[in-house]
Amino acid sequence: MTGHTYQYQLGDSDSIEALLTALSSQFHLGTEPKKSVRHLLFDSFDWRLFQAGMQLDEVQDKDGHHLVLRSLADDSPYETIRLEGEVPRFTWNYSAGLMRERIAGPLQMRALLPVVEIRSQVIGLNLLDREEKTVVRLQLEENRARPAGRADYQPMTHLIRLLPVRGYDKYLKQVSRFLSDKVGLLNQSQPLISLALEAIGRKPMDYSSKLDFDLQPDTPAGEVARQIHTTLLDTLEQNLPGTRADLDSEFLHDLRVAIRRTRSALTQIKGVFPDAIVEEFKERFSWIGSITGPTRDLDVYLLGFEGYRDTLPEQFQSDLDPLHAFLVSHQKIEQQAMVRKLKSPHFHKLLKDWRAFLSTQADPGSAGDHSQKPIKKVARKRIYKTFKLVLEEGLAIHPHSQPDELHELRKSCKKLRYLLEFFQSLYPKEEIKPLIKTLKSLLDNLGDYQDLEVQAYKLREFAHQMVQEGAVPADTLLAMGMLVDGLLKRQQEARLVFAERFAQFADEQHVERYNRLFATKQDAKLNGAPS
Amino acid sequence: MRIIGVYNIKGGVGKTAAAVNLAYLSAQAGFRTLVWDLDPQGAASYYFRIKPRIKGGGRKMIKGKRDLDELIKGSDFENLDLLPADFSYRNMDLMLGDTKGPVKQLLKLMRPLSMEYDRIFLDCPPSISLVSENIFRAADALMVPTIPTTLSMRTYEQLVEFLDGHRVMDVKRMPFFSMLDRRKKMHLGMLEDLPKVFPEMLKTPIPYASDVERMGFHRAPLGSFAPNSPAGLAYAELWKELEAGLAG
Ligand SMILES: Nc1ncnc2c1ncn2[C@@H]1O[C@H](COP(=O)(O)OP(=O)(O)OP(=O)(O)O)[C@@H](O)[C@H]1O
Ligand SMILES: [Mg+2]
Repeated sequence: MTGHTYQYQLGDSDSIEALLTALSSQFHLGTEPKKSVRHLLFDSFDWRLFQAGMQLDEVQDKDGHHLVLRSLADDSPYETIRLEGEVPRFTWNYSAGLMRERIAGPLQMRALLPVVEIRSQVIGLNLLDREEKTVVRLQLEENRARPAGRADYQPMTHLIRLLPVRGYDKYLKQVSRFLSDKVGLLNQSQPLISLALEAIGRKPMDYSSKLDFDLQPDTPAGEVARQIHTTLLDTLEQNLPGTRADLDSEFLHDLRVAIRRTRSALTQIKGVFPDAIVEEFKERFSWIGSITGPTRDLDVYLLGFEGYRDTLPEQFQSDLDPLHAFLVSHQKIEQQAMVRKLKSPHFHKLLKDWRAFLSTQADPGSAGDHSQKPIKKVARKRIYKTFKLVLEEGLAIHPHSQPDELHELRKSCKKLRYLLEFFQSLYPKEEIKPLIKTLKSLLDNLGDYQDLEVQAYKLREFAHQMVQEGAVPADTLLAMGMLVDGLLKRQQEARLVFAERFAQFADEQHVERYNRLFATKQDAKLNGAPS
Repeated sequence: MRIIGVYNIKGGVGKTAAAVNLAYLSAQAGFRTLVWDLDPQGAASYYFRIKPRIKGGGRKMIKGKRDLDELIKGSDFENLDLLPADFSYRNMDLMLGDTKGPVKQLLKLMRPLSMEYDRIFLDCPPSISLVSENIFRAADALMVPTIPTTLSMRTYEQLVEFLDGHRVMDVKRMPFFSMLDRRKKMHLGMLEDLPKVFPEMLKTPIPYASDVERMGFHRAPLGSFAPNSPAGLAYAELWKELEAGLAG
């Protein structure tokens, strides 16, 4: 039952009748009763299965209720499981097995959400040989599609698929030749999910949290800034419903990233908006950062919980159960508090005001003095300045430096990373990508160094809070103590790795790359490098 | 992958019926299942409407010059495939004799299929030969259809002697009653007595039933046209015992 699925596009129902007539005049066919099938296709909000070449299909028909993981290349099934109730949302809700193994890698912590629903009327035909043995299966599908669970069904491409029977390729080729040459059908190589999305006016991969601007070097900086901010605001808004409903932790995460990028863009793309606007919105967005922080902190603990637990010797692992319960209940409380604020008029007004500002035509008089300069110039300057800052701060760090100095460096690195990401399309891909990669590896290290410590102290805070809230077993507190110890040890390890990571950044060739891309002749003279 | 040989020294005792019906049940339960029709008569192939012919002949295949993979045919049922019989199998003893490890050659040929199939059922020709010894060495379980008569008991004893004598210890012996006719006194007597001598005897007897004979008319496994007939239900019970035996 392996092999490529031959698939052709059909016209309306009339042409199905005509096709049936043509087929039965040529081949010996057995028919199966017409059946109706409902497909509900699932993916994560950011299309992780699609990106991994898969589609997840909840199938309901008279034969039962199944979940089928299909290839995107030809819709053929990789894995099938029988379903009792609803489609489990998270990989950890699946029982151990091949299905879980396949989807766990790409999905990670993301929830499976229904994307598009298909209703099919399926006619099954069996092509028989002289022994009345089925040698090819044909499936005619009359399809309709609608957005998952709502609205009216829209017309969708009708299909005929040839499902090969193993060991009978000869017949398969015969029928496919007949369909393409004699009947004149067109091959249809799109996966089911794409056809269904097309029917409802969508495309796969219509959301991504990755920054992917296509900037022109000569566009005025003010215009580019508006474009970047508008995209970030769109991302923020796209993640709102999922954040409010707590569908999974990543909606909030992406929302917060959009906020951080927005604030960073406000500061970093200098002189394009009036100062008063910049100050006002920096502060207002910082408010969103602060109301969403506590929930995110708890999400981070819950996501990492298994990892923490596994660092303890097995006999102490279950001692952490009360901590888990604590985290779960507090996450719920914080989440609810956050949602109230995210639904407040205050919040809505902020988004509305921001969009209004971004969509008004820039008034040259009120805008900052860089707003008319070409973006390439502004970007170059900002990137180079920030790069120099990172280099300087990093080189000043020695084995006895205070943690604060590393924290400062981290902030500068983040600024540089956002700048590189915002403006990467202005530079050759093969030049800019390695810079982002090296920076990311340095940032990961600095992040570990700071976050592990924060986490350790936060755990101590939790311990105190748990004691205040009621009886906590002593064993739980001891196990948490072990976790704190482990975190601080890892933090120290991160500190040791720092020198090596920074050396990669400060490497001569790497620095030269920055110079080549971002230094002006004047800068070069200052650096003493040949221009 | 588990290999199940369906075997008896005697002919006409219900081997092919059991192999086909149990394989069908296994496929229905979601196991990717293959039937290898090792009998040159091709009865199992006939039940699946598949021509008893191997492309290029059996010799090349037995020698390992052709992957079994390319010779497999899909049946009309989901999860169920067949490796057809071939007339040249009548010389399989000789072909096996020509290989490097004559008693383990079939196992060697099947090993590459382990990623593709969860269960392989071998429908074996009767008699003791190099083919049957290959089956004993390859199989995880040996299902032995046994008609409840004194003569059948003797043949099962012979098989046990052979297995012990040749130190075939890795295969789980699973004799079961086949073609039980409750009107016959001797059958009922053996039903009582045989398990005392051979405690490995499975609990579920397959009754003598015209439904099984009708498989030849339908050219299909019993489960596909009469799953709730007494014989159909008996095979289903027997299959559960087989699976329990494979697990334990
Ligand atoms: N339980 C049964 N009740 C009635 N008839 C049966 C039963 N089992 C098998 N038969 C019939 O008995 C005949 C022999 O059965 P089958 O082919 O399964 O035996 P076999 O052991 O494989 O024979 P061979 O040794 O020839 O391969 C067939 O015609 C079959 O339909
Ligand atoms: Mg037989």
